[in-house]
Amino acid sequence: MAQPRTSSHSGDAGTARIGSGARVRGRIHGEGDLVVEGQVEGDLAIRGELTVAQGASVTSEAIEARSVVIAGALEGDVAATGTVRLVAGSRVRGNLRGSSVAIDDGARFSGRLDCEFDLPPELGGASSRGEVRGRTAARR
Amino acid sequence: MASTVIGAGITVEGEITTDEDVVVAGTVRGKLTAKESVTIEHGATVEADIAGASLIVAGSLTGNVTASERVDLQSGARVIGNVKAARVTIADGAQFKGNVDMDI
Repeated sequence: MAQPRTSSHSGDAGTARIGSGARVRGRIHGEGDLVVEGQVEGDLAIRGELTVAQGASVTSEAIEARSVVIAGALEGDVAATGTVRLVAGSRVRGNLRGSSVAIDDGARFSGRLDCEFDLPPELGGASSRGEVRGRTAARR
Repeated sequence: MASTVIGAGITVEGEITTDEDVVVAGTVRGKLTAKESVTIEHGATVEADIAGASLIVAGSLTGNVTASERVDLQSGARVIGNVKAARVTIADGAQFKGNVDMDI
């Protein structure tokens, strides 16, 4: 969906990008979105959306963001208040927590999924709020 | 277009190394090494030693700088540290405390 442009230059407020030739070792935190095209080793805590682009690699103990889209390689535990999506071609090792988690066909994932969801009435009865803790190991 | 951008709300504590350009509008603490230009925008805070081809500062910088080409401190810049580069400009309105080494 098209969004109105609110800023006129590249360093606009709250947007960060780690370019494909860049490597960051350390902690990244703050407000706004972050796109990783290069390499990050260290913890990430941002208020916006984290995108790990194809070809990027993130190695971290803890990753916190509003939502997370992974198309590259990621190792570490992910906690999102919103959605976590593993795009085809991604390689993820770690535990994922989010309000919803999507794993596309062709994504490789090893770890635990932790997300809240509504059980169908025939399974959950009246109180239809549930939590799943399962282990998924997909390998090619 | 800059390859690596640290946005205004973002803080990086650690080491940034890149073959490309870096634009800092947020906060960087640690070390910053780029093969090309480094830009510290107005409002940005950098507490780091910087190495790069060229450096443009309009924000606040504490740290030592080594540039293979040039360093430009623009109006509004606040720099504490030593600057080593073949070409250095300090604009009217820039604040600077430190040594300049033009390698002569």
